Amino acid sequence: MSTTFLPCGDYHENYKQDHAWWQTKFIKLKMILLFAVLFVGIPLCADSYWLSVCNLVGYTVLGALGVQLLIGFCGQLTLGHAAFIAVGAYTSTLLVLEFPWPKFLLDLGLAYPVSIIVAAIAAGMWSVLFGLPSAKVKGFYLILTTMAAQFITVDFVITQYVSQIGGRGQAFSLPPGTIKVGPWIIDSNLKVYLMMLALVILCVAIITNLLRSRVGRAWIAIRDNDISAEVMGINVVKYKLFAFFVAGFIGGIAGAFWISNLAAISPEHFPWFWSLWLVGVILIGGAGSIHGAIFGSVFMVVVMELLQLAVIPLADTYPKLLMDFLFIKEAAFGLAICIFLIFEPNGLAYRWWQVKNYFNLWPFSY
Amino acid sequence: MEITKDLTIPKLFLERTETYGKNRVAMREKEFGIWKPITWHDYLENVKYIALGLISLGLKEGDKVAMIGDNRPEGLWAEMATLCSRGIAVWLFQDCLMDEVKYIIDHSDTRFLFGEGQEEVDKAISIREECPKLEKIIWDDPKGMRNYHEDYLISLKEVRDLGKKLEQEKPGLFEETIEKGHGNEVALLFYTSGTTSKPKGALLSHWNLLSMGKNLMSIDPCYETDDFVSYLPFAWIGEQMMSISCGLQIGFTINFPEEPETAQENIREIGPHVMFAPPRMYEQMTRTVQVKYLDAGWIKRKCYEFSTKIGYHIANLKFEKKSVPWYWKLLGWLVYFGVQKKLKDHLGLSRVRYAYSGGAAMGPDHFRFFHALGVNLKQIYGQTEIAGISVVHRNGDIKFDTVGTALPETEVRITEDGEIISKSPSVFLGYYKNPEATKETLQNGWLYSGDRGFVDEDGHLVVFDRSKDVMTLPNGKPFAPQYLETRLKFSPYVRDSWVIGDKRDYITAVLCIDYSVVGKWADEKKLTYTSYPELSQKPEVYNLIENQILQANKDLPEAARVRKFINLYKEFDADDDELTRTRKLRRAFVTQRYADIIEALYTDTDTVNIDTTIKYEDGRSSHIKTDLYIRKLGD
Repeated sequence: MSTTFLPCGDYHENYKQDHAWWQTKFIKLKMILLFAVLFVGIPLCADSYWLSVCNLVGYTVLGALGVQLLIGFCGQLTLGHAAFIAVGAYTSTLLVLEFPWPKFLLDLGLAYPVSIIVAAIAAGMWSVLFGLPSAKVKGFYLILTTMAAQFITVDFVITQYVSQIGGRGQAFSLPPGTIKVGPWIIDSNLKVYLMMLALVILCVAIITNLLRSRVGRAWIAIRDNDISAEVMGINVVKYKLFAFFVAGFIGGIAGAFWISNLAAISPEHFPWFWSLWLVGVILIGGAGSIHGAIFGSVFMVVVMELLQLAVIPLADTYPKLLMDFLFIKEAAFGLAICIFLIFEPNGLAYRWWQVKNYFNLWPFSY
Repeated sequence: MEITKDLTIPKLFLERTETYGKNRVAMREKEFGIWKPITWHDYLENVKYIALGLISLGLKEGDKVAMIGDNRPEGLWAEMATLCSRGIAVWLFQDCLMDEVKYIIDHSDTRFLFGEGQEEVDKAISIREECPKLEKIIWDDPKGMRNYHEDYLISLKEVRDLGKKLEQEKPGLFEETIEKGHGNEVALLFYTSGTTSKPKGALLSHWNLLSMGKNLMSIDPCYETDDFVSYLPFAWIGEQMMSISCGLQIGFTINFPEEPETAQENIREIGPHVMFAPPRMYEQMTRTVQVKYLDAGWIKRKCYEFSTKIGYHIANLKFEKKSVPWYWKLLGWLVYFGVQKKLKDHLGLSRVRYAYSGGAAMGPDHFRFFHALGVNLKQIYGQTEIAGISVVHRNGDIKFDTVGTALPETEVRITEDGEIISKSPSVFLGYYKNPEATKETLQNGWLYSGDRGFVDEDGHLVVFDRSKDVMTLPNGKPFAPQYLETRLKFSPYVRDSWVIGDKRDYITAVLCIDYSVVGKWADEKKLTYTSYPELSQKPEVYNLIENQILQANKDLPEAARVRKFINLYKEFDADDDELTRTRKLRRAFVTQRYADIIEALYTDTDTVNIDTTIKYEDGRSSHIKTDLYIRKLGD
């Protein structure tokens, strides 16, 4: 049955309608409004700084979507998602910098777009590799194996070997003009922003579509109870690995996208803390909801930015505050998670659902 | 298509299916979460093969075919197939007890019985021995039917297959059979619930049914794009009238709920354009709103209160036929968008153009409640014997204490004794195998209703009550107990009420509390109880009910006020013969059954001892021994 609150007189004669994305006029209107704000409102109103904040939100959303898929929809705990983002970022960078692209592709500006796809697939495959233990272990032990992914990938393979390609040492610099999509050179926050929107919409569409199909139902069944899922005839291992693939794929897109925002990339961009951060984002946003990944990302990024803005005026009196901002940030992150786990364990998405319900049930409470 | 004496329901059906074919949806059934559409073409195919199947099973003109089951497309197909093969359809209430089923099947000389599934088949098997005329039992839901191999059982699928075979042998037989029909032939044999005696079988012709539909639609037009939800028993004339008489003439879509339990929710999904229900459905809606209102938060409660105040004011202006000033109109719009729109959405009344209430009396408070919401609720008055309707409210001419004015082609008069009599093309042919009753009811083409009433200064018919139920007050004036009962029922805590006091010194009432609403109230008050009898006898509950009665007493003349009441230890139930299947109180029966209580209410005592057995739906019975308290009321 449709999960949307349908107004009286709005009914479905087939499952296609029942699974449609935007089922009521009100929702359609709301979405058009949202797109207007995203594509017109923000680019017109926001300055470069706030656009960069938006880009960070987008990057977090792309990362969190994969984590949400694994933890929130498939029940596979992961603490190594930054590794797959790193794989995506490095694959894309190496392809753009080192691959002998045919001239016409370069002229058409397709090198970077193609590298995003390749990066996504590579990250997906890499993710499947580290998803293999999930066939055997679950819960706490799976956390450890995914952490292993982080350390093997970023601290060992990338730092020790990949970074040495081309003899540059630690960082790959991305000279201006290398990141080009079609005729546009991605050189301003606005252009990054528009690309980010396109990619976020694409990835949300991919995941939403998967979730309303057989695959999504299988994932949710595995999350709720893997043994009964198997009894029902779901090939648990296959679907778990597919979840890892899709999560890695989207992580790869996130990484490949993020290099457009950087002048150089190095392993420090993908610390273990970033994996943890993404888990925190979905806890705050609400596990098991696409809205949750988006709300969590917006909340965390904006709160941290506000924190930074709050700290800057104090920096004259207490210079240590600015120096130690990283620690303040981490402390705030820990505090936010604690507060959410105690007061809103179902996350912001649940709160959003409650607000909607308040008005849907108007003028009653049930 | 013009309704003539020559036209029959099957002919009209054939015409409709030809016009609409595969392009329009005739009915929908909710199954596995979606509303599965059935086009007119599918409808025809099914009816055709079932009809031919019945013919090849040996159905002859005028044979009776009975149907029992929930509201499902198959039920309507079976009925239509019966009519198409020139049989006569008999509908039974789904919850009929074995005795009633036996009586009707036997009395109507039924040869074929359509049952839905195992439950109905079991019922039929157990009465088969006593009903020798019953030949075949047709079922269609295979659940639980694996081990039934009796040769008098046949599945709907097999009947259809027989029909397909016959179609190949004699193509065109279906159309030929329909062509032979005439409007004056009997279409339905309809058993009236009867508040007094054994059910009587009213014979209704095609012409009766179709002319009734035509006359109703001429004042309240419906359109083929309309939706209608069929969830009330087909054995109730109101449902027949909407689904068959009006449905076929207009060609609107009939929607069937997933299960009887989900009906309310399914109605909300569909949002019908027209609905016809007995008052108890509207009473239930009112009660839901009242209870939900009590549980809502402060802001929501205040908004609701504000909107009802405005709504009542505007409704009252309309009742008094005054024009609504612009500022009230403005406020009306405000509360419509602020509260009422959403409220109607919850009740499934967003799209309703006409909501009819019929079959029993409806209280003025309920009536005003719906008009305050902006729902065009109308009273209908009629009997099974006149194919359902003879009198109805007109748009913009609604008075909540009347039932409106007569339909076109219908004459309504009051005899010298105050009895309502009517005459129209829809007056029935007579009772089946009961000439005495026919003679009593049908005199010179006039239908004697047995209801007492009068016509008021605006030409509206006011139905007082059943003639034999009208009470005489202590001051010698006549009084309708049902008026008082419906007023008491406006309280969400009261589910049923029974007012006593004919030729007595004062008026008393027996009340059945609403178990869920009062139970919830008791939970909040931290009152413990284990059962209905216990809850009903709590002094706190008595206080609660006392306040509700005092509220109702306020607007009543001195002599008609309730002076004493008692909370009954059980709810009135049709299975105990206390109510008819359409939930009308069988006054004579309860008077006899609860003679002790009446006795106690008119003597100077505080309690009455009860020692009785009650029957459950599955046939079990249990013994009850309890004391009931009597509460006296002041002014």
